[in-house]
Amino acid sequence: MREIHRRAPRRAGEAADSEAGRYKTLYSMLLDASPSSVLLIDSQMRVVSANRNFVEKALRSEANTVGQRIDAVFPPAIVQQMDLVSRVRAAFEHNRPTRGERMTYRSPGLATRTYYYSLIPFSWKGAIEHVMLLLEDVTEQVRLGEEARRAERHLASVVESASDIVLSTMVDGTILTWNAAAERISGLTLGEVETRTFFDLCAEPHRADARRGFETAKRGKGFGVAEWDLVTKSGALVPVSWVGSTMKDDRARVVAIVAVGRDLTERRKFEAHLLQSQKLAALGVLAGGVAHEIRNPLSIASSAAQFLSEEPEDPEFRRECRAKILTGIERASRIIENLLHFARPGEQPNMVQVDLVRVVRDAAALAAAQAGTQQVEMNIELPGNPVLVSGVPGLLQQVFINLFLNALGAMPGGGLLRTALDRAGAEVRVQISDTGDGIRASEIERIFDPFYTTRPVGQGTGLGLSICHSIVRQHFGAIDVESVEGQGSTFTVRLPLLKNGIRQ
Amino acid sequence: MIRNGAPVRVLIVDDEPDICWALTHILKSTGIVPVTTTSGREALRLAKSQRFHLAFIDAKLPDLDGLDLARRIREGDAAARIVLVSGYFYCDDAEVRQAMVAGLIADFVGKPILHQQVEAIAREVLSQVVSTSRVIAPVP
Repeated sequence: MREIHRRAPRRAGEAADSEAGRYKTLYSMLLDASPSSVLLIDSQMRVVSANRNFVEKALRSEANTVGQRIDAVFPPAIVQQMDLVSRVRAAFEHNRPTRGERMTYRSPGLATRTYYYSLIPFSWKGAIEHVMLLLEDVTEQVRLGEEARRAERHLASVVESASDIVLSTMVDGTILTWNAAAERISGLTLGEVETRTFFDLCAEPHRADARRGFETAKRGKGFGVAEWDLVTKSGALVPVSWVGSTMKDDRARVVAIVAVGRDLTERRKFEAHLLQSQKLAALGVLAGGVAHEIRNPLSIASSAAQFLSEEPEDPEFRRECRAKILTGIERASRIIENLLHFARPGEQPNMVQVDLVRVVRDAAALAAAQAGTQQVEMNIELPGNPVLVSGVPGLLQQVFINLFLNALGAMPGGGLLRTALDRAGAEVRVQISDTGDGIRASEIERIFDPFYTTRPVGQGTGLGLSICHSIVRQHFGAIDVESVEGQGSTFTVRLPLLKNGIRQ
Repeated sequence: MIRNGAPVRVLIVDDEPDICWALTHILKSTGIVPVTTTSGREALRLAKSQRFHLAFIDAKLPDLDGLDLARRIREGDAAARIVLVSGYFYCDDAEVRQAMVAGLIADFVGKPILHQQVEAIAREVLSQVVSTSRVIAPVP
């Protein structure tokens, strides 16, 4: 400290002076090395000493600092803002310190700077001799702090503004964070879910699977992609596609699991519409055959009624006519029932136990009407006993109707349509073969692509096989095709068998 | 086949036996006893072995297309009068109209069948055959 240097210059040979001087030198060195400004002020509001940092930062000289009144040393704006004079006075009169106050100051032509300051009374033998003013420039720290907060706010608002669910859980699945989309989609606030686990919020049939997903995630690789329904506050189910990843600390330990979920409601609606329109397109193809099939029994019933209206005398003939009317009507209504069953919009896509033999038989019955109009012989080999799979009956029927119609479409000039269903290990295999044109090797890769069709515009949507593919995959099965150009194609659908109600 | 001196030979082809039953009973009032079959190929065989004045042919037979069968019958006997019977086509379908314009088929009977229409056709053929049979010797 310059003032100390000046008032107590070192004198060689004086032991006491030498000892005191040593400390003074040490302290002045420490003070001068400090990046903070340190000033001593006396009761007359005069600066007694000032360290190097202050002198340099204030762009003053030592001479015009030491001995000056503080209101001459500091710019008036600072004196006023700090209320410097009365604070120094309070320190002297009441031994009251001022600690950690914040002040901003902008010197003309320079950027605003932020300071922390403290005023600490220095007592010696009961009397307050000086007040120490500590002034620290924290502009940089404040700026960094604000930047960090801004980045944090930005990230938070990215998560909050996301239209997808973004949530994090502890490794045991307990919810930690829950964004606005999660609240909007589920109707549940963070407060309502934070003590619950993620699996708790999943629909019952998906809970075990979700739990397994989190167990896998815990081991470090996330749980990949999964579709688990979320139960909303009102108890409704929302289909959600989840992607799970892990959050690790510096030591690569999994500390949290992050799940991002996309609401599939709209997509499911779209898919349902797509399925329905494809179904209607298939119905259009079926309609001709069905009309033919229905008009035959109707015509028989009508003829029998026309005979009866002439009141024939032969009682045996009258009996025959009545029987034919009833049989005809029953046959026609059975065909219509089968058609309506297929035409009606898909039920909730809930998997139930389904007899695949019956599904294939019903589909074949509808296709048979069409086959009859184009000289296609249908040879269907189905086992006598039910073959159970887990599935959505309406969707599975759509698969086989599409495959039958596809086969019929390949045989416009007649042919043979063979269907066989057999068990192979843990799966059931349905093969549908035609003796049609076959598929060119260059096209076989693309036949399951949506909108891919070799038929003229208006004669095929190009959706039939692609829908078969997606339905079969949804049933954990597979579909493939073998074809020889000019000889025909064989489509094979494989589905996992149900044994004791459990998918194999 | 020949009854009450009316030498009119009629063939009915429909894969549905009860349609054959109905047509047979409708023709009964005209005194005609037809030959019936549910198979297109059998019909072709029958048409080769004997000539028919009138044939009711279902448009959609499982083994043969009805119009194709009509064409082949007329190849062997250009005078045969063919009636296309169908629950598949409408009378104004392009295929039906073309076949009529080409003279391949003389009439179209839609299902459900109206008995009056069939009876009228049968009586018309009957009167033609009876009037011509006085001049020309019956076909052996």
